[in-house]
Amino acid sequence: MTGVPTLNPFSPEAASIAHLFVAILLVMFSIFALVATLVTVAIIRYRDREGAVEARQEFGNPRLEIIWTVLPALLLVAIFIFTVRTIHASDPPVSGRAPDLRVIGHQWWWEADYLKSGIVAANEIHIPVGTPILLEVESADVIHDFWVPELGRKIDAIPGHPNHIWISAEKPGTYLGTCAEFCGNQHAWMRIVVIAQRPADFAAWQRRQLSVPPVPTAGVAAQGAQLFRDQTCVNCHTISGTPANQRIGPDLTHLAGRGTIAAGAAADTPANLFKWLKDPNSIKPETHMPNFQLTDAQARALVAYMETLK
Amino acid sequence: MPKAKLAVSLFILSEANFFLLLIIAYVFYHSYPGAGPTAATALNPLRTGLFSILLFASSATMIMAAAGYRARAHRATLWWLLATVMLGALFLCGQALEYAGLYQRGIAVNRNLFATTFFTLTGFHGLHVFIGLVAIAIVAGLAATRRLVGSEREADAFEAVGIYWHFVDAVWVVIFSIVYLWAIL
Amino acid sequence: MSGLAVRVRAGEPSEAAAHRGLLAWVASVDHKQIGIMYMLSVLLFFALGGVEALLIRIQLAVPNNHLLDPDTFNQIFTMHGTTMIFLVVMPMLAGMSIYAIPLMIGARDVAFPRLNAMSFWLQLFGGILLYFSFFAGGAPNAGWFSYAPLSEPAYSFSNGLTYWVLALTCLGISSIAGAINMIVTIITLRVPGQTIRRLPLFVWMTLVNSFLILMALPVLNGALMLLLVDRLLNAHVFTPAFGGSALLWQHYFWGFGHPEVYIMILPAFGMISEVIPVFSGKPIYGYGFVAASTVAIAFLSFTVWAHHMFAVGMGHVYDLFFVFTSMAIAVPTGVKIFNWTVTLYHGRIRFTTSMMFALSFIVMFTIGGLTGVSFAVIPIDWQLTDTYYLVAHFHYVLFGGTALAIFAGLYYWFPKISGRMLDERIGRWHFWLTVSGLNLTFFLMHPLGMMGMPRRVYTYPDLPGWAILNMLSTIGAFVLLASVLVFLWNIYRSLTAGAIAGDNPWDAWTLEWATSSPPPPENFALVPPVNGRRPLWDLKYPDRADERVEAALEG
Ligand code: HEA
Ligand code: HEA
Ligand code: HEC
Ligand code: CUA
Ligand SMILES: [Cu+2]
Repeated sequence: MTGVPTLNPFSPEAASIAHLFVAILLVMFSIFALVATLVTVAIIRYRDREGAVEARQEFGNPRLEIIWTVLPALLLVAIFIFTVRTIHASDPPVSGRAPDLRVIGHQWWWEADYLKSGIVAANEIHIPVGTPILLEVESADVIHDFWVPELGRKIDAIPGHPNHIWISAEKPGTYLGTCAEFCGNQHAWMRIVVIAQRPADFAAWQRRQLSVPPVPTAGVAAQGAQLFRDQTCVNCHTISGTPANQRIGPDLTHLAGRGTIAAGAAADTPANLFKWLKDPNSIKPETHMPNFQLTDAQARALVAYMETLK
Repeated sequence: MPKAKLAVSLFILSEANFFLLLIIAYVFYHSYPGAGPTAATALNPLRTGLFSILLFASSATMIMAAAGYRARAHRATLWWLLATVMLGALFLCGQALEYAGLYQRGIAVNRNLFATTFFTLTGFHGLHVFIGLVAIAIVAGLAATRRLVGSEREADAFEAVGIYWHFVDAVWVVIFSIVYLWAIL
Repeated sequence: MSGLAVRVRAGEPSEAAAHRGLLAWVASVDHKQIGIMYMLSVLLFFALGGVEALLIRIQLAVPNNHLLDPDTFNQIFTMHGTTMIFLVVMPMLAGMSIYAIPLMIGARDVAFPRLNAMSFWLQLFGGILLYFSFFAGGAPNAGWFSYAPLSEPAYSFSNGLTYWVLALTCLGISSIAGAINMIVTIITLRVPGQTIRRLPLFVWMTLVNSFLILMALPVLNGALMLLLVDRLLNAHVFTPAFGGSALLWQHYFWGFGHPEVYIMILPAFGMISEVIPVFSGKPIYGYGFVAASTVAIAFLSFTVWAHHMFAVGMGHVYDLFFVFTSMAIAVPTGVKIFNWTVTLYHGRIRFTTSMMFALSFIVMFTIGGLTGVSFAVIPIDWQLTDTYYLVAHFHYVLFGGTALAIFAGLYYWFPKISGRMLDERIGRWHFWLTVSGLNLTFFLMHPLGMMGMPRRVYTYPDLPGWAILNMLSTIGAFVLLASVLVFLWNIYRSLTAGAIAGDNPWDAWTLEWATSSPPPPENFALVPPVNGRRPLWDLKYPDRADERVEAALEG
């Protein structure tokens, strides 16, 4: 069932949940069918019509009561046992391992710090296929929730309360996720993309992320680089190889390599970037990035610069 | 069954839950102390202890008042009620002194989590004492103007006020132990 | 002695009846008038909450919609949830209990009529205070459970949340006062003969429910006070940046919030337990078990709160405790479902509109209950919490449960309250529109959640299947609008031109049907003798009175 990610898992953790879910859906449907049938049969048989017999005055039957107390209870005990088993399969213990990746929720974007390589990414997480990755999930402000349904359970990102989950992907591909805990105005556009790559592709991606993009020295892009310093962009963003090293907004070092900007609110195209810089609210209303009242020329120069950030 | 007595008993059941919550908040942050004043450094258990004795004594005078009322000794009732009001008011004065002292040392409700939970907990208790005082003062006023008639309804109401007052005291026993005694342990 | 009781018309007009016109209502301390005022205020707030629901659905009808800006949308769903819970369901159930219970126990009024009036006016004041926030810089916008630190001034700086806190405090105090009043009324004012084992089940469940309110609402009030200290006095009880704890708020809120969801269903169970037997022409099956399971649910409801927090990372041991208790609560609920269903068997079922709502309740509530159990299976919750699957769950229990039961109860008691019948033909329309609209709107939310759509988003990307399901759901909401309008029309029509009801149009058997419709100010001139659970039945069939039949069955 493509299109239904919770039933279409791509990791062993998500798969264990999906199996349980299908089983429970079947159980639920059977119980529903039972109740619905009982009611329907009664409606048809005991309708008040010409010649219907008098209602029989009965007050109850303790034996029946015991039956419909004990049988559901037994069923629930069985469900409980399966639940316990799936808990361990879908949320394996951390067992003292250091996390591979620290994911930090911000209003309204995701920061991803690769703790071993030092790569800092935003909104787009690359992982190698087939390897379980341990995430540490945190928050910089309010409560968020990291959720990529095809890869596993969701987990809250709570300030002052770091959480851990495993994710992994069995096949290369792009997996969509989202912030699942209401976190303010742009909770809707706080989406996540996880890109699972073959080890070789992942290594290439890693190399590119670790490289420092050269600062353009000529043309419009150079003007843009200058503007970036003057227009206080440096107060919030990081671009390696430049003085910009703040972490209030996403790291822009490799912006041009991303598929979307502003956590999924728009595709990463020059036109959208231009729109974003002219007025971030036009793409993502009430976002925390201010409108700098840039002129068209300034915005074009900045876009040109951003496009060099491969 | 007497209606007012039943109603007040139910009411204090709900109040108990309310205080339980505030106490949990206090205890919770007691176990995670941050920077700044704590119960051990900020409070004076001895002085508050003395004022607490006044409050506990007021439960005793309330019992005497009830006994007087049952015996239809209206003068005695009046005096015991007034004694109760006095003791309760003194306790509130003690609390006011304590707050003023803390405030002078810069410990206000937003200073740290100890201060917040301390002031919220004891403040709401103080408010309950105050409400109790008003209720008792009304009964005392009735007694003073000889309007107590000894009807069944009135006896019920009298007992209800008493139950409430003992509850306020009992809550203070818990708060005093947790906030002040725990601090010197 | 079970001789026929002679009924005499009302005696002296009461104190309140001396006033005329509007003042007779404003100054009233009569439980019937106060109950009616509760219900009328609900009508107003239901319209507001419903219009908010429609705005939500219009905004979500198509992907990438920019009709409402995010902050407005957040205010609207926060107000929708808060309104429906605190200003619709709670006061509706309170109003129906306040109206019906003194009559059902043969009392003249509630135990404390003035306190009763205070509860109502405080409730109304709380509602107005909440809505006043719209004019005071913006409504609350952190959702109906206002998670910290989003609800702290650092992230929600308009005054909306402060209004929310103050309004909910008023509502909480009102509910507690109402609960105390109910308990004292039920315990002290029953007619002689009506022992606790002979109480009508609606009264039973309201009694248990009142204890739930008494225990749960103070928890909310305490949490609200701490949040208020944070918001007004710059404290940091719930702000992690200054050493506070965001999770403490969640424990507090759900310590109230879970009992609250049962507070919203127990009286509904009670109404179903009245309506189904009457229209089946039989006593309720397993009275003792239905009553006892209510008590079990009430106790269990205080042990399950953290099932709303499965995603916060509590650790599997804690998780499993709450999994266990949440599953356990399905058992006593199932007992009720089965007893209602079996009551139908060997009956003679009259398909009044009231009964149709009650029957659809059984089926619709079961859907909501079962998805509730699927949340108790914690790995499923890890996938589906905070998605539209959850929105589906709670609308099935709240709309498919509580609201359908309220409609059943209204069709049942309207003749008593107004003296006139609600039109059955328009009632059919109302019923079928409601049930089809409800399923169209909310059933499709299950697949939406499974497809990954989170709740509380003001818009969503155009992913495969999302647009069409949302559009259909929006259409369903308009079907519901039609159903509500038909209902309002029915009330209007019936009040002006409805058939005269008479004392006991349904041939029912609890005491409220022994007096005139509407009842006189004093309720009863004479209360019939109560020797069993169905006094009017016993009166009508002295040779087949319940006590005899039961004795014969046991003997
Ligand atoms: C009237 C209100 C009402 C009722 C009655 C219920 C009933 C139940 N609810 Fe629900 N619930 C809500 C209102 C309600 N809920 C609301 C409003 C929320 C969301 C709050 C928010 O986040 O905004 C919520 C959320 C919620 C969650 C949290 C989900 C999350 O946030 O991730 C959970 C988790 O366990 C849950 C479980 C249950 C269970 C187990 C029941 C059980 O009581 C159901 C029992 C009934 C049945 C099971 C059906 C009948 C039984 C049988 C026919 C017997 C046989 C059955 C079996 C053997 C299974 N509910
Ligand atoms: C009893 C409780 C109750 C009821 C009855 C309803 C009824 C409805 N609800 Fe509600 N809902 C909640 C309780 C309830 N809801 C809660 C607690 C939340 C969670 C909030 C949160 O996340 O914080 C929620 C959230 C919620 C959402 C999710 C919002 C989000 O997460 O972004 C949606 C989305 O579709 C929704 C839709 C509806 C619809 C279409 C109805 C319909 O059934 C409404 C039908 C009624 C009408 C259509 C009214 C008719 C109008 C009139 C009679 C007025 C006529 C007069 C004039 C026009 C002047 N609700
Ligand atoms: C006050 C802090 C602040 C300043 C100053 C600021 N930004 Fe941002 N910026 C942000 C935040 C926060 C975001 C993330 C917004 C979101 O997704 O909701 C962001 C996002 C972006 C993005 C999209 C990044 C992505 O990966 O999606 C670009 C591009 C960007 N900013 C460029 C700039 C430029 C150019 C300037 C200077 C003209 C600038 N920013 C100044 C805070 C700031
Ligand atoms: Cu972050 Cu929702
Ligand atoms: Cu719950």
